[in-house]
Amino acid sequence: MKNITKVFLAALLAVSFLFGLNSCSKKETGPIKIGVLLPLTGSKANFGEMEKNSFELAKAEINKAGGIDGRALEFVYEDDTGKPEVGRAGAEKLITVNKVPLITGGYSSSVTFAAAAVAQQYRVPFLVNTGSVDKITEPEAFNLTPKDGDKFYIYRLNPPVSEYASGLESLLQEVVKPKSVYIIHENTAFGTKGASSFKKSAEKLGIEVKGVQSYTEGTVDFKPLLLNAWKTKPDMFYMISYVMDAALIMKQARELNIKPKLFVGAGAGYTMPAFKENAGPAAEGVLSATLWHQSLPIKGAKEYFDNYVKKYGGDGPDYHGAEAYSAAYVVANVLKRCKGDYTPETIKKALDKTDMMTVFGPVKFVSYGKKIHQNKMKTYVVQWINGELKLVWPKNLANAKFEYPINWDKLWK
Amino acid sequence: MNIFLQSLVSGLLVGGLYAIIGIGMTLIMGVLKIINLAHGQILMVSMYITWTLWYYLGVDPYLSVIVSVPVVFFLAEAISKYLLNPLIEKESILPENQVLMTVGIGMVLVELARSIFSSDYRSIQTSLTDKVWYLGKVSISVPLFIAFVVSIVLTAGMFYLLMKTDLGRSIRAAAQDKVAATLMGISSEKITIFTYGLGSALIAAAGSVFLPVYYLYPDVGPIFTVKAFVITILGGMGSTVGAIAGGLVLGIAETFGAQYISQGYRDAVGLVIFLLVLVFLPGGLKKFTKV
Repeated sequence: MKNITKVFLAALLAVSFLFGLNSCSKKETGPIKIGVLLPLTGSKANFGEMEKNSFELAKAEINKAGGIDGRALEFVYEDDTGKPEVGRAGAEKLITVNKVPLITGGYSSSVTFAAAAVAQQYRVPFLVNTGSVDKITEPEAFNLTPKDGDKFYIYRLNPPVSEYASGLESLLQEVVKPKSVYIIHENTAFGTKGASSFKKSAEKLGIEVKGVQSYTEGTVDFKPLLLNAWKTKPDMFYMISYVMDAALIMKQARELNIKPKLFVGAGAGYTMPAFKENAGPAAEGVLSATLWHQSLPIKGAKEYFDNYVKKYGGDGPDYHGAEAYSAAYVVANVLKRCKGDYTPETIKKALDKTDMMTVFGPVKFVSYGKKIHQNKMKTYVVQWINGELKLVWPKNLANAKFEYPINWDKLWK
Repeated sequence: MNIFLQSLVSGLLVGGLYAIIGIGMTLIMGVLKIINLAHGQILMVSMYITWTLWYYLGVDPYLSVIVSVPVVFFLAEAISKYLLNPLIEKESILPENQVLMTVGIGMVLVELARSIFSSDYRSIQTSLTDKVWYLGKVSISVPLFIAFVVSIVLTAGMFYLLMKTDLGRSIRAAAQDKVAATLMGISSEKITIFTYGLGSALIAAAGSVFLPVYYLYPDVGPIFTVKAFVITILGGMGSTVGAIAGGLVLGIAETFGAQYISQGYRDAVGLVIFLLVLVFLPGGLKKFTKV
């Protein structure tokens, strides 16, 4: 009896050893799963869809070109519904249930920040591609110091919201020279931070800030806000909104005959095709800061735009789509440099060494100020001209002439 | 002064819209004694019907009321008959579960809409949507004005129906005392089904006239469920006149709050009023309007 037990145990040991060895020596052939956190339902689903489409487009291209060392790349999507608590749970699920070694995506700032805390806690790298509030790449927000790069798992492809308007600043300085500005923003992390940093840049440029007012997403009637703002007669409006609020603000500004020198959006809603569709003629002439435009002289930008339109139809993606598409390529590039060892630590080390070109521009994670693992980028200015989003600044890259001064009477007829 | 007048006009117009959203809920609350948490989602269904008719067939949104109202009416009757009523009959199920049921119905409607129409934002552009009248320096948005007129007409119609017709008397009887109404020969089951249909048809009308002012996506509903709920409490449950008063009060209060305090606190103003009414005027404005 004793012998049988011994034999049995030995056999068990041998089998388990064999299996153990097996998993080490046998080459894995299944797809490599990477987590993507996006708002696929809820009020931000429109952005989430554009990003998901772009991830899928990139995935198809990457896998067609041989995948990652012969293995297919696969994205596991988790819907954050635009709410931080759901985003937290989603990130946790990706890490603990789906066991992904890397998360990307991250749309709204507050959701991304909540999910980043989860990634940080589980020590899984998180490549943020859209969430833009500054503190996401500031280790101090996670009780670390900027020297703790090896303990900080968050990386960001897109510039922080405080830098969205950097391209706009030179346009204001050189061409428009406005004397005053009124800032309207959504009362979220993204909106509030964007407003306070634009206020600072305006003061630096010698533009008087006549007022700053917030509103809640989904407001039906913006007229009180617009009237209060117009009472101060600012030279320009600076607005930070998601897409449908943006459309309603411009529609109602037109109704109220508000005619400053400039209406400037801070990216987000103001560059989306849905903005033009829903605002109708009120979208004409509106300027916006942007992070990308398909006409930029970046290799692959135009192809990406055309392929997207071919596959999904519609008006094509704006910078949000380009961010997602490039994130997918960064993921592929990073994984290829892991040489088969797809663990969070190896991926993190590979992320540190990233230096590549994407359709969104060069990607390299650097440290400056309070931020680390942050990709530094230029920003641009676009304008809606005859129903199309045209790049108007900087001048040497522009594909259309900046329409200024703007004749609102003619555009709004 | 100008800004004051503009706020008053905007507040009144938005209030009219709120009123029409609230009437349907107050009616359902009065008779079925449940909070219909699928209210905003039914608004969304009607808006999608309106949008589809406009987009594919070019039907004017105001004209599409002829389609959206009956479609939603029958949809809601079916919901009430097959999904809500069976829950009353089962002793083991608490009647409160009907409220939970409406939450589920709302979710199903949203996801159905998403699978059919995707999450894209939709809006309608007609010759009227961007039209504005100017009274002196005060601007009046024409589509909002039309929505306001429609809501007045619908309220008047509802008032007449409830006060002067047999059907209305049956509804009021069922709302006051179900058992007594049944003893008087009123089929309370039929009345509850009809009332749910009627309440939903009202919000369907609201959806059709509201779409030209606002925009549409599958998750548009919840904001308006909350608004409708606040209006119902403000106005007093089951009171149509109360609902229109509540809608106007909410609209004006929000607009003035946004104008003179901050747009960021717009919703807070409405909710503070809601709390004040609950504490100091339980039963709502119905106390003054009597009906």
